[in-house]
Amino acid sequence: MLDLALKLARSRVLALLAVAFAVFGGAALVTATGVLAESGLRSHVAPGRLAGADVLVAAAGVKQVEEDLDAALPERARVPAALLDDLARLPGVTAAVGDLSFPAALVTGDGQVAATPDPQAAGHGWSSAQLSEGAVSGAAPAGDDEVGVGSAVAAAAGIGTGDSVEVVAAGQAATYRVAAVVDAPGLYFVDSTAAGLAAVAGGAGAGTVDLIGLRTESGIADAVATAARDLLPTGLTVATGDDRGDVEEPGAAAARPLLLVLSGSLSGIVLLVVGFAVAGALGVAIAGQRRELALLRAVGATPRQVRRLVDRQALAVAAVATVPGVALGLLLAGRLRRLLVDGGMLPAALPLSVSPLPALAAVLLMAAVVSLSARAAAWRTSRLPATEAVTESRTEPRTPSRLRTSAGGLLVVAATVLAVTPLWVRNELGAGVVPLAGLLGAIGFALAAPALLQTAGDALAHRLPARLSPTSWLAVANLRGATLRMAGIVASLAMVVVFALTYTLSTTTLLTAGSRDVQAGTLAQHRVTAGALGGVPGDLRADVQAVPGVLAAAPTAGTTVLWPYTELGEPTVESATATVLDPSAAGVLDLGVRAGDLADLTGATVAVGADVARSRDADVGRNVDLVLGDGTPVSARVVAVYDRALGFGPVVLSADLAAGHTTSGLAQQLLVRTDGSPAADGALAALVADRPGLALTAATPPGTTLADAPAEVWLNLATITVLLGYLLLSITNELVAGTAQRRGELAVLRLTGTTPQQVRSMMRREAAVVAVVALGSGLLLSVVPLVALGVGFLGRPWAAGPVWLLPAVVLTVVAVAFLTTELPTRRELRAEPASALSHAG
Amino acid sequence: MSVSAAPTTVTTAPAIALSGVSKVHPGGVRALDDVSLTVGAGAFLAVMGPSGSGKSTLMHVAAGLDVPTSGSIRIDGAEITGLDETRRTELRRRRIGFVFQAYGLVPSLSIADNITLPLRLAGESADPAWLTELVERVGLAGRLEHRPAELSGGQQQRAAVARALVARPAVVFADEPTGALDLTSTREVLTLLRESVDELGQTVVMVTHDPAAAAHADRAVVMADGRVVDVVDSPSSAELARRLIALGQG
Repeated sequence: MLDLALKLARSRVLALLAVAFAVFGGAALVTATGVLAESGLRSHVAPGRLAGADVLVAAAGVKQVEEDLDAALPERARVPAALLDDLARLPGVTAAVGDLSFPAALVTGDGQVAATPDPQAAGHGWSSAQLSEGAVSGAAPAGDDEVGVGSAVAAAAGIGTGDSVEVVAAGQAATYRVAAVVDAPGLYFVDSTAAGLAAVAGGAGAGTVDLIGLRTESGIADAVATAARDLLPTGLTVATGDDRGDVEEPGAAAARPLLLVLSGSLSGIVLLVVGFAVAGALGVAIAGQRRELALLRAVGATPRQVRRLVDRQALAVAAVATVPGVALGLLLAGRLRRLLVDGGMLPAALPLSVSPLPALAAVLLMAAVVSLSARAAAWRTSRLPATEAVTESRTEPRTPSRLRTSAGGLLVVAATVLAVTPLWVRNELGAGVVPLAGLLGAIGFALAAPALLQTAGDALAHRLPARLSPTSWLAVANLRGATLRMAGIVASLAMVVVFALTYTLSTTTLLTAGSRDVQAGTLAQHRVTAGALGGVPGDLRADVQAVPGVLAAAPTAGTTVLWPYTELGEPTVESATATVLDPSAAGVLDLGVRAGDLADLTGATVAVGADVARSRDADVGRNVDLVLGDGTPVSARVVAVYDRALGFGPVVLSADLAAGHTTSGLAQQLLVRTDGSPAADGALAALVADRPGLALTAATPPGTTLADAPAEVWLNLATITVLLGYLLLSITNELVAGTAQRRGELAVLRLTGTTPQQVRSMMRREAAVVAVVALGSGLLLSVVPLVALGVGFLGRPWAAGPVWLLPAVVLTVVAVAFLTTELPTRRELRAEPASALSHAG
Repeated sequence: MSVSAAPTTVTTAPAIALSGVSKVHPGGVRALDDVSLTVGAGAFLAVMGPSGSGKSTLMHVAAGLDVPTSGSIRIDGAEITGLDETRRTELRRRRIGFVFQAYGLVPSLSIADNITLPLRLAGESADPAWLTELVERVGLAGRLEHRPAELSGGQQQRAAVARALVARPAVVFADEPTGALDLTSTREVLTLLRESVDELGQTVVMVTHDPAAAAHADRAVVMADGRVVDVVDSPSSAELARRLIALGQG
């Protein structure tokens, strides 16, 4: 059966090339998504600074979640220092060191800060230097005013042992003498000094350390780890080998789920688009073989045999196309990771984890999609009674399948219902539903299109002017006579319209709504940051407030909270970014508080967005149970409910609540509101310039152009570009193959006296009708999702986005419709009609 | 009206037995009206009649290509009414061969592949000796690797006859097999069918409107308005032409 399938395939090269391309691109997209998903589950950060420790002990970096993947905790929970002695006594342990990290930076002679990779955690105790494998030159620092300097920093600042340097550690500036240069990253203080600084920075408090590193006799790290696990209380994790990196950098390890979430949100769209493209290409390929399949039926092939034949043929083509597709997918995943790293969404330390699993999944998935599409496309032909198969083989089925039409209609209705989600859900999820609803609607339309177009065509036929030119008359007759083919083309092009509009505009609308919130909600004019120092020094706020003309100054920081709640009876844990504010924030931010007061943000309190308040029963005065970023469960009282959640996130934690539960306790920025006088602005600028490592910027970005859009937006746009390119190329192939299949029909027209010019003119008119109908239906399908999006997020019935988008989409659709008819038609017309007919098959 | 094309030697069940078969098309058109017809094994029957007389429908129904509205059809003794599409196809594949007016060869397959197609679909392989004999008989020995488009119409139709015979079916149905052929090719194809009856004992039912073609058969039935209106044994083309013209005037 397979060789029969292949022999039949030989004469359908063009159509099967279209199938091959759709499968090739599909395999690439599925593989790339799969690699991201697998990395989200299994990727490890390589051990860096602590590579010299054979065993690391730290607080468990995950929160167990019932019936779901464990949630990663981005903030570091501490380990009791008392465990050090117990661990040091384990057989085979040669050294046990309590490691601390805190913000630290070295100021060079010209008042600049020497760049370090991670200033938030550049300060450590001297004993941690034992855990790095780097060589030490000089002596151990011996007093409060001595420091060991990492070799990279020393080289950058041009200093060596014995020099005096200014160091800002935990936000406190002081002068130190360089006692040693260490071949490891960071700044190393005397252990007691380090403990004090860590406490000041809001890191590890008294009696605790960030993690414990053990050096062991060679080759027995695993045995030591096992012994340590028996010894330790629960809630601690013991890591060896590659797992050490995850423990060393919980922030980077916690970024892993982002990959999982990303691939999860991509997979739905990718599968829909790939399924659509593959089914479309196979539909054209099988339509071209109708006559042969009908002949096979007449000669004695059972319906099953016909379907199996088509299935084998499609699978053979798919098998050839999948292999390079998977290879491309692996490259694509690497590109995507780079994009995420460059956009700051993924730590550079987190590599991709590549195994044969995503490739295998892509192969199986593509095989399933191809097989299903092929059998579905051949269903009608295979089921026809044999006589009808013989007579019908020359034209297409007369009546569109009723099942297909009603399934399509139901899908469109369901998609429309889904499309109004943004009216109720004003967050990323709500906006993400829009392209999904659009795609479902377009697929439903593709199913219902034959019946719809037939009805429309019949209605229109009676209204056509009596004196239609012969070519227009022919064009209309062809389209009406080949409703199924035309419906396929129209639905594919409508899909392009829907996909481009809903996906792009949902991204840009969400962006616009968010920046509107930020613009309207930020009262402060200035933002002071201290990225190079690892956080805003604690005393800066008082200094800023002392500047004449400054009305308010408030520190803000960001963290993550896990919010367990019940949704539809299922326990769910949502990981949400949270802003950390103190009561003074009301002076610099207007979150659009609709109930309660931000001034009450003291103690164990939170403020929540209106959306969250409504859906999770968290109004003012209620207590909510949360898990902080380091895994500590807390119960907090809601003191305010605000509207501007798109700009400021769904949850605000009081600074008191977050204190001690974040890796670094220093604020990330200080928002400053002045009276607007030039004197005040000048004095503020002078203050910031005077202290090394500080930066002063406007509190809100000047405009909302795409250029300064956040990385997620760029990622979304890149995804749209790749998927749209794939969709367009698939459809183009499909349409070219479809036109080429009309060779026999065109030859008959020419033999009966139609001139080549008339044939071209007829085909152009067909293309024009197709383009107009496709644009019309695509726009109609997009209207409901986009209006709902505009109303839900912007309070107006249209979405926000670049003005060139719609004209570009229209131009693309028109160009594809014309080129895919014009070029193959010209080629067909070059052949003599009689020979064209005899080879038409 | 009930007729019987009696074979010269009656040994087994008739190749085809239709009894009270009617076919009403969805529009209410009665294409077959209570037709009963028996074709013995080894007989060559011609079905004639003007356009719209129901002769094609008769063939489709008798061959299991189409389902009658009522009545019973037995092929080689087996009842086929009530079978589903797949079962009917399997039965057709083993017991019935077809020759179509437009040859019906699959363009992308070679002549050899086309001829053996019914066997392959049934999951069987051709007996090489039988295949060689068949190919010699239809005169296509040198053309086996060619594609249908590379052959003349007569050659394509002879390939179609070979395909119809390859599975040694109980009956070969030929639907206007000479309708698209020139005189020489027409004679070749009719001779081929006649020889298959005389030398291989094949049962053949041929639908045609051409009295000269029908004259090759042992017996001809004439149809009008969905009924068998006339039966002519050992027909001559002149006699058949006369009766057809009379039918047209009546």
